[in-house]
Amino acid sequence: MTAKLSMLQGVNTIGGTARVLDRALDLDAQLMLRVRDGDEQSFAVLLEKHRNPVIHFVFRMVQDRAIAEELSQEVFLRVYRSRGTYEPTAKFTTWLFRIATHLALNWLRDGRNERAHQRLDAPRDSQKDGELPVREVSDRTPSVEQHMVYQTRLQEIRDAIGSLPEKQRAAVLMHKYEEMEYSQIAHVLECSESAVKSLLFRAYESLRASLAYMVTGATK
Amino acid sequence: MICPLLNNANAAQRERLLDYTAGRLDGPEKEIIGRHLETCPDCTAFQIEQMAVWDALDLWTPAPVSLDFNRRLWQRIDAAATAPWYKRFAESLRFANWKPVVPLTAAILLIAAGFAFDHPGRKSALPGMTIKEADQVEQTLDDIDLLHQLDGVAVPPAAASKTM
Repeated sequence: MTAKLSMLQGVNTIGGTARVLDRALDLDAQLMLRVRDGDEQSFAVLLEKHRNPVIHFVFRMVQDRAIAEELSQEVFLRVYRSRGTYEPTAKFTTWLFRIATHLALNWLRDGRNERAHQRLDAPRDSQKDGELPVREVSDRTPSVEQHMVYQTRLQEIRDAIGSLPEKQRAAVLMHKYEEMEYSQIAHVLECSESAVKSLLFRAYESLRASLAYMVTGATK
Repeated sequence: MICPLLNNANAAQRERLLDYTAGRLDGPEKEIIGRHLETCPDCTAFQIEQMAVWDALDLWTPAPVSLDFNRRLWQRIDAAATAPWYKRFAESLRFANWKPVVPLTAAILLIAAGFAFDHPGRKSALPGMTIKEADQVEQTLDDIDLLHQLDGVAVPPAAASKTM
């Protein structure tokens, strides 16, 4: 797809066949091109569409709600700032997640994550600015015991993901939750597809060792 | 005995098994792996464990996003548009990874310091002495050295044998 786009882009530059390029581009890239031309409404559409996936991805990377939102704001800010130089050489989501991954990895590597974390399930200190209270995921769980079991499992999942090396973690999150193709993940992580497959296999190997017992009922 | 498909040396096949479990495999490869799974308990166990992992990961649903996320973002965009260039530059460095910069800077400073000590340039090595004075001393020492060399050459061979 990327190669196809690059090729078509070349055709566009040389032959001026803009319509061919427009048809080949994904909708997001077309919206981004409109943002480049000064259409802020298109940016609002892109933001609405990709906001949650980006925030959720960053949250699972850094495991801190407030930081995830702050970093995600930075992601969209960078997208907006670089609108003038945007060229649709890859899928828009690939570019977007590349920025998100870069920021999340930088944050993790910079040691800023050593500060006390505010957990997803922890109630927020204040409910300012018309914010809704944090949703308890296990609202429908009737008993306290089940709730506790759920919270323990959730913590184990977080710990298992958190214990993965950063690149493996990013690869798993993009593969599992964003259902991205290997080629896209490879673009985001700036490595080959075979390296991505290898990263994923090793990551899932670790996760199988720590999480598989949850469903099979086997002991660790 | 473990199925050769799960062998560490068989990375490509292992990854295909993972793709099959994830539903990302098509065509004849899918059929081959499917048929293999019908008869292989090791690979079936792998498949069950992997699906258990994905089921476990499904439990992790993130919290809803703050309602004012968009408003805050637009505020930042507006603020960035009117901010002076140095503030925008500082803002762009906000989430930069500084960790590798620290040892790099330390190394550069160390090299610079070493270079400064080895090559003091036009500065005098002796405290309290001007550059001109240092040059004069150096010139005098060179002259003395030259005179010593000339003395050695000027001695005739006969005189030299006498002295022996």
